[in-house]
Amino acid sequence: MRLERAWTTLRLRLRTLLQRGRMQRELDEEMQFHLDHLIDDGLARGLSPDEARAAALRTMGGLTQRKEEVRDMWGLTWLTDLADDLRFAARSLMRARALTLFVVMALALGIGMTAASFSMLDALVFRPYPVPDPGRVVTLVSTSRDNAFEGFSHREFRDLEQSATSYDGLVASGTVFGVGYSPDARTSPRVKAGMLVSGDYFRVLGVEPSLGRSFRADEDRVPDRDAVVVLAHAFWRQELSGDPQVVGRRLRINGREFTVIGVAPESFPGMFIFSRNDFFLPLAMGRLFEGAAERDLLEDRDARALTVRGRLRRDVSLAEARHELAGIAAAFARSHPDLYRGRGASVRTQLQMRTQANDVNWKFGLIFTLLSLCTLLVACTNVAGLLLSRARARTREIAVRLALGAGRTRLVRFLLAESLLLSGVGGAAGVGLGYVAIQALRRFSIPADLPMSVPFQMDVRVLLACVVLAVASAVLCGLAPALQSTRADVAVGLRTADIDPPGRRSMWGRNALVVSQVALSLALLTATFLMARSFQHSVRDAAGLDRGDLLMARLDPRLLQYDPARTQRFYTQLTERMRQMPGVVTTALTQNPPLGLDAFERLAFVPEGYDMPRDRETLSSQVDAVDDGYFAALDIAIRSGRGFTAHDDSTAPRVAIVNEHMARHYWPDGDAVGRTLRIGGHDGTPVEIVGVAQTVSMSSNLERPDDFVYLPLAQRPAARMVMLVRTTGDPLAMVGAVREAVRAIEPDLPILELRTYDDLVRYSMVEGPAVAVRMVGTMGLVGVFLAVAGLYGLVSYHVARRTREIGIRMAIGASHADVMRLVLGRGLTLVAIGTGLGLLLGLALERMIDSMLFATAGIDFVSYAIVVPLMLAATLLATWLPARRALRIEPTVALRCE
Amino acid sequence: MLPSVTDMSKPTDLVQGTLDLLILKLLAIQPLHGWAISRRLRAVSNEVLQVSEGSLYPALHKLEQEGWIRAEWRTTENNRRAKFYELTRAGRRQLQEQAASWDLLSSAITAVIRLSEG
Repeated sequence: MRLERAWTTLRLRLRTLLQRGRMQRELDEEMQFHLDHLIDDGLARGLSPDEARAAALRTMGGLTQRKEEVRDMWGLTWLTDLADDLRFAARSLMRARALTLFVVMALALGIGMTAASFSMLDALVFRPYPVPDPGRVVTLVSTSRDNAFEGFSHREFRDLEQSATSYDGLVASGTVFGVGYSPDARTSPRVKAGMLVSGDYFRVLGVEPSLGRSFRADEDRVPDRDAVVVLAHAFWRQELSGDPQVVGRRLRINGREFTVIGVAPESFPGMFIFSRNDFFLPLAMGRLFEGAAERDLLEDRDARALTVRGRLRRDVSLAEARHELAGIAAAFARSHPDLYRGRGASVRTQLQMRTQANDVNWKFGLIFTLLSLCTLLVACTNVAGLLLSRARARTREIAVRLALGAGRTRLVRFLLAESLLLSGVGGAAGVGLGYVAIQALRRFSIPADLPMSVPFQMDVRVLLACVVLAVASAVLCGLAPALQSTRADVAVGLRTADIDPPGRRSMWGRNALVVSQVALSLALLTATFLMARSFQHSVRDAAGLDRGDLLMARLDPRLLQYDPARTQRFYTQLTERMRQMPGVVTTALTQNPPLGLDAFERLAFVPEGYDMPRDRETLSSQVDAVDDGYFAALDIAIRSGRGFTAHDDSTAPRVAIVNEHMARHYWPDGDAVGRTLRIGGHDGTPVEIVGVAQTVSMSSNLERPDDFVYLPLAQRPAARMVMLVRTTGDPLAMVGAVREAVRAIEPDLPILELRTYDDLVRYSMVEGPAVAVRMVGTMGLVGVFLAVAGLYGLVSYHVARRTREIGIRMAIGASHADVMRLVLGRGLTLVAIGTGLGLLLGLALERMIDSMLFATAGIDFVSYAIVVPLMLAATLLATWLPARRALRIEPTVALRCE
Repeated sequence: MLPSVTDMSKPTDLVQGTLDLLILKLLAIQPLHGWAISRRLRAVSNEVLQVSEGSLYPALHKLEQEGWIRAEWRTTENNRRAKFYELTRAGRRQLQEQAASWDLLSSAITAVIRLSEG
């Protein structure tokens, strides 16, 4: 019955809101009906029509006023309750200004920080693809033992297109890192980012060009024939000033004339989170942008460089698509057994693609979000504690209200309204704070010449999260105190200003608050310390790498259509020229310097004489092609054997250097030098290990040590290289000389990146972690601040409540020490329990962070050695200050105070 | 022109909630429209209780919003469209409660008055 009534009233109240016009007309008619009857009565009594009408109106007490009254009432019943609650809440909160301020601040900090962290997680994981119906866009991946997210080759993609039926269409795309762009033949090229896409790319993704047209299917059929390009919106606006006549214009890309056929819409910057490309180019033109010389992007079945995506048909489930793809992969393996050993294929959702196990970025986002949620939880317990104390202090007020007949539900609602108001204001302030934090995060830029974006922003999902958090924290911190204080015995409440209801339940609740507050903030602080210390390690290690006098220049002669032989000749000439320069100690060539931003290539090999695991054909490791100056220039020690020399050229026997980690991995007896690796398989090219190099961090300072193979550049030619120049003085003084040297050999070749190596490392290894350290540090500080403030509040309130008791005890002869023991004892017990729980919680948190990010061995005792005493000291202070105050109380005052 | 109780004392002077109680009681007997309620009220109370015709409607709408009565448009015997109100189940319960507390109140007041006379 209650439900029925709730339903009818809700429907009616909604009607008064939504169908106001109709309600009004009905009211008019209803009252007119009454008026007509009154007039009829008047006429029956012999009045003239006018008189009758006037009399009737008088009897009604004015028609308009009455209607107004009804209308007011409609709105009122709807709003009165809420408005009343909120008004009372606001009034009573204004009376406790300090408390209100603190609570709002605590909630704002908690919510703001969570918003900022969540915006990161949102950008990295949740934000949908910028295409219509993004939920049905899935990614097809080739899987193997080492990599469950590999792409497909062009050949494979064409086969998939033929045989897969689960999709409304399949598209392939391949990022080409740098392409040389010049508006015409006379200008020297600049580097831009390109993306090779299959002919159906735009159509299948549902993206309409904002200008011109997208590719036709036949423009992606014949290799090297159709030199057409679709421009990215940002490129079109910035480089071509948004020229509306751009379609049909010709641009030079990698030395070839391309005809502009369209411009992608602004809403579609590409499918990737970080990188934004400038050009969309047909896959069939891929050879112009080919990476390694020895493979053919379009023909080689195992050149798996393409990301394949599909739009799942509405009537096909993900499981069905996976099943079909597995069948296709099996068919591949039947027709090319040698290429598909241990290889399968699967379909991945956007979420799966973005939460790959080997990607740390989203994990940071997740950990930050969890940590800030912890902070918010601390803030909430805190606020709950304060509200509870306040509610107890208001026992009399509440008892009066109960005695006057206020229902318990109504009182709980009123108290909840109070916390809702608090968290509403706190939430609003939190959104502001989060916005500021996000703006600060966005300022962190990635050092690259190609367009990279850090896509953190305050969007709908982040705002929604804030609202949810605010409401949740309102309930969390308001409900418990509200329920407890309204349970108070009316008679007892009226008699005294403040008294605990008999029974242990309420004490238990308050103690639990103190304990959980200590535990949570201790755990938070531990995690903070752990992360901060790990980052600091990384910063220190990065500093330990001798990188002070290194200048780096990234070059790619493919931009000028160099063939592989000419490319290597160019690098040899450049090296000779640079090494002769005064002020140059030595130079090095590498595909990607340690701690650079690119990923390393991987090398498949079989160590000769090594017992291979039964289920594996080859092993794999990261690889870099370097020249003879590499180890000296980067100051990487050769532990045994030798480094590379100029004699390790293309005609000499093939050699390799491995790092210590790999040497120990396969030859634990320390006799790696002289062993042979077979490249590609057990019958592949033999390569002799001639040296073992010191293990250094290659991709990140937070990485676990990993196997690494160095090969001589002359024996494994690559086109896109970084030249490192070790100088005797300021490396920046050599910038002109490097430019001059490159120009002397090849006037048209652009230098893709020219900066000090220190710059690069600092950006990637120091500033990123520094931002993280600052974020984590802020969370920890806020957590501790909140915990200490909250503890102080709870404990001092507790002592204040016992003022009278203390007075009595002292009056009957208790010493200061006795009283101190009494007050401190209780607080310390709680703190001790909290600390114990916090340690356990912190340990669990540490394990979790550890398993996600770092390879720290064992427990970081230093963190605990700092954190635990800090927390203890803080809580001791929070206990001791009120205790001291209690002692100063004159027994007579204490006894009179009630 | 009718001399009426309301001329001396406005309906808001009725004990708070009394009008609600009277309306609920009348509707408990049969569904009525506003005009009928005001006539019936006057008739059954021997013309003593007369509600200001206008203030009946805010009261009716309030009761409707509370979910105690339900409104429906029907045709009267004179073939005119009128809004008829009837009691809901929640309203019936509300009536019982209000009637009970009215009984309590009025007998208490009666007792007090008799006491002072005696």
